[in-house]
Amino acid sequence: MPEAPEVSIAAASEGGYPVLKEDLSPAGAGVPTFKHSRLQRLADRWAHLGFLICSLLVVGLIGGILYFLATRGLAAFLPLAGNTGRALSFSEVFLSADWAPSSDRFGILPFIAGSLGVTGLALLIAAPAGILTGVFIAKMAPAWMRNLMRQVMDLLVGIPSVVYGIFGLTVVLPLVSRTWLADAPASGFAVSALILAVMIVPTIVSLSTDAFESLPAALDEGAQALGSSRWQAIWRVLIPAARPRLLTATVLGLGRAIGEAMAVQMVIGNNPQWMALMRESTDRAPFLRALFTPAATLTTELVQELPNTAAGSTWNNVLFAMGLLLYLLTMVLILATRRLGRGKEA
Amino acid sequence: MLIPTIPETKPIKLSVRDMAFSYGQKKILDGLSMDIHAERVTAIIGPSGCGKSTFLKCFNRIHEVAADVDVSGDIQIDGVDIYRGGIDVVDLRRRVGMVFQKPNPFPKSIYENVAFGPRLFGVQDRATLDGIVEDALRKAALWDEVKDRLKESASGMSGGQQQRLCIARALAVNPEVLLMDEPCSALDPIATSKIEDLITELKESLTIVIVTHNMQQAARVSDYTAFFWLGRLVEMDLTERIFTTPKVQMTEDYITGRFG
Repeated sequence: MPEAPEVSIAAASEGGYPVLKEDLSPAGAGVPTFKHSRLQRLADRWAHLGFLICSLLVVGLIGGILYFLATRGLAAFLPLAGNTGRALSFSEVFLSADWAPSSDRFGILPFIAGSLGVTGLALLIAAPAGILTGVFIAKMAPAWMRNLMRQVMDLLVGIPSVVYGIFGLTVVLPLVSRTWLADAPASGFAVSALILAVMIVPTIVSLSTDAFESLPAALDEGAQALGSSRWQAIWRVLIPAARPRLLTATVLGLGRAIGEAMAVQMVIGNNPQWMALMRESTDRAPFLRALFTPAATLTTELVQELPNTAAGSTWNNVLFAMGLLLYLLTMVLILATRRLGRGKEA
Repeated sequence: MLIPTIPETKPIKLSVRDMAFSYGQKKILDGLSMDIHAERVTAIIGPSGCGKSTFLKCFNRIHEVAADVDVSGDIQIDGVDIYRGGIDVVDLRRRVGMVFQKPNPFPKSIYENVAFGPRLFGVQDRATLDGIVEDALRKAALWDEVKDRLKESASGMSGGQQQRLCIARALAVNPEVLLMDEPCSALDPIATSKIEDLITELKESLTIVIVTHNMQQAARVSDYTAFFWLGRLVEMDLTERIFTTPKVQMTEDYITGRFG
């Protein structure tokens, strides 16, 4: 094959590449120099200062909230100045299920368990549903439906949580109350988790759709070229390949669920004594009963009680401690998300 | 239509008759007929967008992943129509393996990549799987390089190793035909020459169809070369004849670099 390269070089030199013959720059013209005017440089400096102040303000605000929460929250456990309440021990707050502020008993275990329970149940519904919907939108739906569903999901993410709460209160609760499952009203974990799940599904769908769309098409084709069915390719290759980003999607949904107060408060029943109620219950299906027992979470309890307590009282301090706990939980979740997100690149 | 009539001892493995392929309203391939012989390497060359890759994808029906595709005419494997002959598409894809333009190992271990196909077809016994994996990796000339790190992720391998892993993955289900869609376009010259050596070894037992943009590669590895232009087969012949005495002027213009 000696001829081939020769000819191709000849072809190129004959006119394959355009050659610039003329010098197009005007003769004698010097290279123009660009210099900012004094005014521009002054404006630059002021703008720089403006940006700096804004970012410091944001950082300061976040730090300030943490400082405020920490001092007020820790006051529940420390005999600080200006603290009218008594200093509690960690165990009587975090390990006790007995919440009776008027009798000076401040066990917040029911709220921690409530928050974790509602969030966990919501994720159990929302994560599989959201991820599978993501697979459907990214890999199966025809183009028009994909565009439509993406827009609908983005729209749903922006709906205020109170709207979901109203829906739960006026539609879901009466519906469930009519079944054998619950004594009326049916407020409790089940309905709260359902409403939360509906609320966070769009977030999980959006992010998992992105996750599946960012996978190279060659992965899907490769699996099918080996004889995988559509479902085998999704289950054995696509989902494992997208796993880090699917985890991120789930954790972000989790973060939204655990911090939600409004929607949950409207349907959960707000019963701080739910754990004691469960303990006394002789129901033969305690788990099922728990799903339909009015309960409370960290967020709902804060919304309910904070306006009614005096600043500096033990009760008030414990509520701040609950706020601090939520803050830290969310922080841990965000850090975990970052870590998971980084894992994908490695 | 030019179908080479030359003495050939190997049987016809794939035969294409008057095939047309359209995607939506757009016709990609038209009036294609050719025979591909067993245990030979057939190279498909032609400018970008001439339908080479599409043609390749018709043999394992992988284009069905996308919707809105219409294939007419006949494509037969061992005399059985692969579209209407009652062949199960999963079985077809086991018999007709494919290697893609860019190495596409699954984000799993080297071992699991190769074991993927056999597992799909229900092989579960560990010892049997071990045997299949070793055999496939040996055939792909990769065994010596990876035998001590089978459990490691495939993403840590070099591009050339990844592509040979993809070949091993395809070989693990014991295919009869191997389709290669520009398998070296993402590789450096050393990795490319390893793949080319491999192609020459593999044709002892396989029918290979390779799409390539690289004329030298077509000349080095293939027994037959087919030149496509605008979705039509311009000329197909023994590779040495295509590159020395092509019958059609357009073929000569293309391989000598006058257009394309």
